[in-house]
Amino acid sequence: MRKKTYATAALFAAAALTLSACGSGDDSAEPVTVVSGSTKAATVLDDNPYEKPDLVLTDTTGKKYDLRAETKGRPTLVYVGYTHCPDVCPLTMNNIAVAKKQLPKAEQDKLRVVFVTTDPARDTPAALGTWLKGIDSDFIGLTGDFDTIQAGARALHITVEPTTKDKNGKTVSVHGTQVVAFSPKTDAGYVLYGEKATVDDYTKDLPKIAEGKNP
Amino acid sequence: MSRRPRRHTGLLTACSLVLATAGTLTACGPDGSPSSSATPELKVTGAYMPAPSTDTMAAGFFTVTNSGGADTLTSVTSDLSDDVTMHATVDGAMQEKKSFTVPAEGTLAFASGGNHLMFAKLTHKPGQGEKVSVELHFAKSGTVRISMPVKPATYDPKTGR
Repeated sequence: MRKKTYATAALFAAAALTLSACGSGDDSAEPVTVVSGSTKAATVLDDNPYEKPDLVLTDTTGKKYDLRAETKGRPTLVYVGYTHCPDVCPLTMNNIAVAKKQLPKAEQDKLRVVFVTTDPARDTPAALGTWLKGIDSDFIGLTGDFDTIQAGARALHITVEPTTKDKNGKTVSVHGTQVVAFSPKTDAGYVLYGEKATVDDYTKDLPKIAEGKNP
Repeated sequence: MSRRPRRHTGLLTACSLVLATAGTLTACGPDGSPSSSATPELKVTGAYMPAPSTDTMAAGFFTVTNSGGADTLTSVTSDLSDDVTMHATVDGAMQEKKSFTVPAEGTLAFASGGNHLMFAKLTHKPGQGEKVSVELHFAKSGTVRISMPVKPATYDPKTGR
């Protein structure tokens, strides 16, 4: 079973760096929260970097935030998730927060870490702000219209579905597992981190990303 | 003549040894007879909770090692939350499950990125170093109370930090 899971995960990772809501087949047909099966800490897209999505949303202070304009020329990490996520979302953001603190102060100030929610109904600017403050008060949280968020995620090859209620009335949201790192030189996304990426991986790579080099 | 009683004693000793390591878990049958292959012998190790960012939600992890027959984890309760649910990762997707099998002579692992406990609407935001009391309810072995230490949010059991 475990083997099978890994094999399938590897296939997913190889086929496309997207998430898809695959049913389990041998279990209940409940809606699921989707995570990708990427097993490597980082993938570098040398020849085919991602374009930074043209995404205008609302930040945690309630102000309009234009991702391209605000992060232009800055090393930027983007993650798509939601705060009612107990495991992978806070772990990912905390891993980045710890690694960030090991950069020189000037580099820390340049770095932009952007968390885009997939669950805008629950993740209001205030809720997002409270959650991020518990991780790193410099992190940017974006919320807004789900369709806009979905289109932005799609530009990063991350597929997210709207938050739904399952048959037991439980709210089910979806998160990506990739963190996309954008270069301050070209504003394109060259590095994808999967959910296995640790504090050490980010600590090792962030100084290079800050300089616009690929790790 | 002397073989039988000795063998009997040996089994009893083995039984109490298991009792000693497993704490409150029942390792012997209900009538005190030595455990048969059908009786689960559970041990819970490696429990931890990554320090949550808010009091909205927290995760919990642990490993159940079973040196006996199969058992089933049917529910989890805690005084930190009235809403503790169990989630599995199946083919890369996370879904809530009503129960988890603890295989005979095997392990059931709740580990980051895979199975996890989800504590919702916490009574308070637990801080690092705090111990959260959690009860694991098994179909055969009954309730096992564990003390789940709150670790740094980035804790990785592989490196222990």
